[in-house]
Amino acid sequence: MTLLDFARGPALQWSLIILVFGVMWRIIGALLIMAKKDLSKPRRKTMLRDGLKTIATRSLPEHQFEKRIRFQHLSGYAWHIALFISVLFFAPHIMFFESVLGFGWPHLPNPVILGTAAVSLAILLALLIRRASHPVQRLISNVDDYISILVVIVPLITGILAFAHVGARYETLLAIHLLSVEALFVWFPFGKLMHTALTFPSRFDAGASFGRKGVKA
Amino acid sequence: MHKDQTLGEYLHAHGVSRRGFLKFCSATASLMALPPSAIAQVAEALAAARRPSVIWLSFQECTGCTESLTRSHAPTVESLIFDAISLDYHHTLQAAAGEGAEAARMAAMEENEGSYLLVVDGSIPLANPGYSTIAGISNLDMLKETAANAAAVIAVGTCAAFGGLPHANPNPTGAVSVSDIITDKPIINVSGCPPIPVVITGVLAHFLTFGTIPELDELGRPAAFFGQNIHDRCYRRPFYERGKFAHTFDDEGARKGWCLYELGCKGPTTYNACATLKWNEGTSYPIGSGHGCLGCSEPDFWDHGSFYTPIAAGLWGSREALIGAAAAGAAIGVGSALAARARKKKTQANEEATSS
Amino acid sequence: MSSLKDIPVGIETTTGNVEPLLHEIRHALRRVADGKEGTVIDLRSLPLAPGEEERIEAVLGEGEVRAEINALGPTVISETSYAGVWLVTHRNDDGTLVAQFIEVTRCPELLKSQEADIERGICRLENELAVRNKVVEFPLDSKDAEKRNYDAQRPNTG
Repeated sequence: MTLLDFARGPALQWSLIILVFGVMWRIIGALLIMAKKDLSKPRRKTMLRDGLKTIATRSLPEHQFEKRIRFQHLSGYAWHIALFISVLFFAPHIMFFESVLGFGWPHLPNPVILGTAAVSLAILLALLIRRASHPVQRLISNVDDYISILVVIVPLITGILAFAHVGARYETLLAIHLLSVEALFVWFPFGKLMHTALTFPSRFDAGASFGRKGVKA
Repeated sequence: MHKDQTLGEYLHAHGVSRRGFLKFCSATASLMALPPSAIAQVAEALAAARRPSVIWLSFQECTGCTESLTRSHAPTVESLIFDAISLDYHHTLQAAAGEGAEAARMAAMEENEGSYLLVVDGSIPLANPGYSTIAGISNLDMLKETAANAAAVIAVGTCAAFGGLPHANPNPTGAVSVSDIITDKPIINVSGCPPIPVVITGVLAHFLTFGTIPELDELGRPAAFFGQNIHDRCYRRPFYERGKFAHTFDDEGARKGWCLYELGCKGPTTYNACATLKWNEGTSYPIGSGHGCLGCSEPDFWDHGSFYTPIAAGLWGSREALIGAAAAGAAIGVGSALAARARKKKTQANEEATSS
Repeated sequence: MSSLKDIPVGIETTTGNVEPLLHEIRHALRRVADGKEGTVIDLRSLPLAPGEEERIEAVLGEGEVRAEINALGPTVISETSYAGVWLVTHRNDDGTLVAQFIEVTRCPELLKSQEADIERGICRLENELAVRNKVVEFPLDSKDAEKRNYDAQRPNTG
């Protein structure tokens, strides 16, 4: 079995199984470990609207600390959006999703994707360097942070190399890129990458429960 | 042609002028993917080259490789190369049959001990020798016997080079390649299903010209022909770069000749000379005719998933397995949440007990 | 009934190899003009999209010289509209293309008469003259014997 066959076959199989298993475990577990039932009388009964409102308010830039965190805030959004465009709208990626999910969608031109991937990688590297050198950031960062960043950077680098056919034979580059994505799948449920699945639900929960108490969240 | 004649003498005896010989050398150099500056060297070498004896053994094969090589009926420059070798044994092409044919093979092996070329097409079945025999001799025995005193072995076609179609999952005949059996002789793998004819004659021409085997890649294939992948020489590459893919075989993209990556083309992972040399004397090649490359010169190309699944797609996608994984995850989630709650209740109960 | 030719297929791609090739020819021509060695370019070694070979030939055009050689099949050597740039097309007896070169030189090698052929020609001429002078001689070049149906007892041809 070649490295590429392994990456497209057993490695893909087990990394996806681990991904789905882990994500379900953590989400179901988190949902069921709920706080004690709130026995007080609800001040408002618009929990759904409050929840959604809080998702929006905590996502938007309006903030007392905005001036100090503006760089972090905007660059964070920039690289996330650029990454999603690269992952979701690159034609070969859509072919990959189609093979796993059973359906696909239209793609964007390759030069656009190359641009967004490069932007995403550049910002990520800059933020990584900042995290490792800024005294406060360094203090509060742990292994989990670094691994989570690494499993996103490596697929970006290997993907760009595979697209440009630079560094090794194409089948090797593609296999390494697939394996790096599978490493991301395996890490995903168990580290800080889970913020992907937990951020919006937790903002909703905060907004809904605070709203019930009549507090603006 | 007498065996002790040089190729130069043979051609001259057949009325080929020096000018004609130079034309022959230019074509041969082009065939071997040598630069035009090497033509003079080729001319000098070929003029003095002696005819090697060649024994061609056909095992578990479809005869496509022989067909590929012998398509042309008119005398061609390539057929001159073929004529220049002394083909002492070939089932499909020889007139002799039965014991007479086997006797010819043994005689050729003895007379040219240590200097004859062994060409093999077809894979060798190991599960049961009876699956493929010639004159009652199993392929395995005939290969070992004939290779013992050969100068070099040329494994023609993906079956002989890597096992080919018979070797594909589940490989019922236990088919293996030549290099799985012969380990003490230089082996040149000329893979392809079938190989491009000029690649076969190019290897023979190299042997004729230089008396050595050409430079090989890590799979034992002549680097001159298998050094580049199809993707890097494909004329549809600009469409790949721009992301213009044909989605079905008859859509607008297909009509405009766009890249066939999405339709399963294995060009990026296949190494062969189809994109430059093409087939049928330079007429076209699969991609040029609108069908993706099958990867036929690579090992196990039958087992890399469907010919129509793109390389970017996974080879695995079991909905049942993912649903099972989700269910298992949910179960563990429920279990761990219940355990956590039970722990919490117990702690609370302990606190209440101690405080009260 | 529609035929295969009616299927609209339009290939709009290029490999981008035409212009670099023309540049290479330009540099080679300069070298020849400066008295240096000529250059031979094997057209088969370049990946060319359908139609690009015709484009190259169209750009190079046709010049004043066209020679047809009959050796192991037809070969056509023609000077393009650019002096010193020759197109050499080798074909087999059945007309299939065997090789194609662009030679940048004052005179392609194949157009010149070859040494070995001249030597053989001298032998043949000497034999021919000997026969005409009614002197029976064996061919001086023994290799010609297989090719020529030479009759040692041939009658007086005068």
